Amino acid sequence: MPQALAEVSDKPQGTARPASRAPRSTPAARTVLVRAAAVLVLLGVWQLLALAGFWPPVILPGPVQVWDQLLITSDAANGQGGYAGSTLLERLGVSLRRVGYGSAYGILIGVVLGLVMGLVPLVRAVTEPAVTFLRALPPLAYLSLLVIWFGIDEEPKVYLLMIAAFPPVAVATATAVTGVNRQYVEAAQALGASRGHVIASVILPASAPEIITGVRLAVGIAYSSVVAAETVNGADGIGGMVLNAQRYNQTSVVILGLFVIGITGLLIDTAIVGVQRALSPWRGLV
Amino acid sequence: MSVTRRSVLSLLALGPVLAACGVGGSSSSGSGSQRVVRIAYQNFADSTLLVKDQATLEKALPDHKITWTSFDSGASINTAFLGGAIDLAVIGSSPTAQALCPPLNIPYKVIELLNVIGDSEALVARKASGVTAITDLVGRKVAAPFGSTSHYSLLAALQQAGVDPGAVTLVDLEPQNIQAAWQRGDIDAAYVWTPVLSVLQQDGVTLTDSAKLAAAGKPTLTFTVARTEFLDANRDVVDKWLEATNRAIGLVKTDPGVVAEAVSRQIGSSKEDAIAQLKQNIYLDHAEQRAPEYFGTKESPGKLADRLRDAAQFLHGQKKIESVPELETFRAALIAPGAVDGK
Repeated sequence: MPQALAEVSDKPQGTARPASRAPRSTPAARTVLVRAAAVLVLLGVWQLLALAGFWPPVILPGPVQVWDQLLITSDAANGQGGYAGSTLLERLGVSLRRVGYGSAYGILIGVVLGLVMGLVPLVRAVTEPAVTFLRALPPLAYLSLLVIWFGIDEEPKVYLLMIAAFPPVAVATATAVTGVNRQYVEAAQALGASRGHVIASVILPASAPEIITGVRLAVGIAYSSVVAAETVNGADGIGGMVLNAQRYNQTSVVILGLFVIGITGLLIDTAIVGVQRALSPWRGLV
Repeated sequence: MSVTRRSVLSLLALGPVLAACGVGGSSSSGSGSQRVVRIAYQNFADSTLLVKDQATLEKALPDHKITWTSFDSGASINTAFLGGAIDLAVIGSSPTAQALCPPLNIPYKVIELLNVIGDSEALVARKASGVTAITDLVGRKVAAPFGSTSHYSLLAALQQAGVDPGAVTLVDLEPQNIQAAWQRGDIDAAYVWTPVLSVLQQDGVTLTDSAKLAAAGKPTLTFTVARTEFLDANRDVVDKWLEATNRAIGLVKTDPGVVAEAVSRQIGSSKEDAIAQLKQNIYLDHAEQRAPEYFGTKESPGKLADRLRDAAQFLHGQKKIESVPELETFRAALIAPGAVDGK
């Protein structure tokens, strides 16, 4: 792995600092090692604490018990079809679909609204307080209202995640659009570009990095709201599993659910950062 | 070497203790000379609310600090017991059975039967759904708050009618969400308790209720439980509690108006609603609780342990507990009221 990294970074990429990249490989490899070691040490301390038995396993189960739960809940043939009728993977799929739909709608609304807010000051003046208002609301508080309006099936869950996801995108897009260098816009207009053309070829590409930062925040917020969304008839999702396990004090299943949410969240975020780099390579590596 | 593994570990163990000191407002341990009694109660019409409302315990134990904490469900009370944060609690039979089984094994004892749940919990079908009998529920959507006594009763009712629970779509919803889903027509039936139940019954057909299930040998009950360590060290406090609640149980029968007034003050309902809710349960005084159907006597233990074991078997079927202990474990966790000293 460190070798592969070194090979890649030895190749000069474009014109930007080809010389300075070569020595980066060693610290990068070291960072990975240090992170892995930190995780291992934490797991070790956790296991020792669990073994020492200061608290009963119902309060603090060890990593081994959580691992066992991972195997049990992934096994569809264990007599309860994984955990309470669905395996861990099925649950993850159900929850990710909800987060996916919620974030997709949220991002779409966020980008469009943010664009209009950034371009038309009047719209911004009118909608900004409303967006901030929505951002301040805890999802659990408006879930009850969504249930009364939209029932107990998929709609209220997706709408909840959508409402949670769109404000950060809207705010980020509006800020990015306002911050686009006027000279780019004027240059494009001088070359005869229409308004639509300017938006598509100048404003959106120039705002892409900030918009994607907003998207990162949005997906994170949507994913962290999935447990709230699944408090109502969401027993088939990963959040539903955490809630059900909490109700019966199955602490190791609760911890397992948190790990699954946390790790998949990390992976999704890494993927979005990858997209960000691909879309705006002129931005330095953060 | 001066730093041993043990000393490092004990330092680590100190962490949460220090954290607990840092959050403030935690009155978990006895403050100086005053002994603390921490009671967990639930906001439903019951004789214990009269004890709370009239401050009977506070007057009987002036040198004790009594704290009352409201909980939404037995599950969260069990969690509080695990953390050692509660001494006495009002709790349903399903969560009690769970607590007495592995892996929880919460060291508490059932010291009193506060009521037998009657028609305050019932299975209702929406009139528009066309369901008129439990057997019609096959393929329909039925809601209940999972893990509650209603959930237990729903499955018992299905079993009794010969309906495979797998053939019914069971939905886990809290009472207020059941009401919302019902009004939208998202569910066909629900097993739930008052006050939501009374709303559903206005345009619903009652298929069965917990009183009928109790008569058929599947009762759901409300208990007082006491932390074993607390019980051993504070017999005087427990005796005062039993005395106060027994008097309140008696008053429910002889003078329900007084109890209803206290209940309405505590849960913010009207006095009429409180009377109606009180009448939906069955109350037994301590002498009646020592009958063979319930606690029984030390020589011939009653059927209560069997009922708890039934509830445990139900939880085991749901894979919520690891195993169902022998009847002896449940008998050991029961102390008949009035027999605390004799034990």
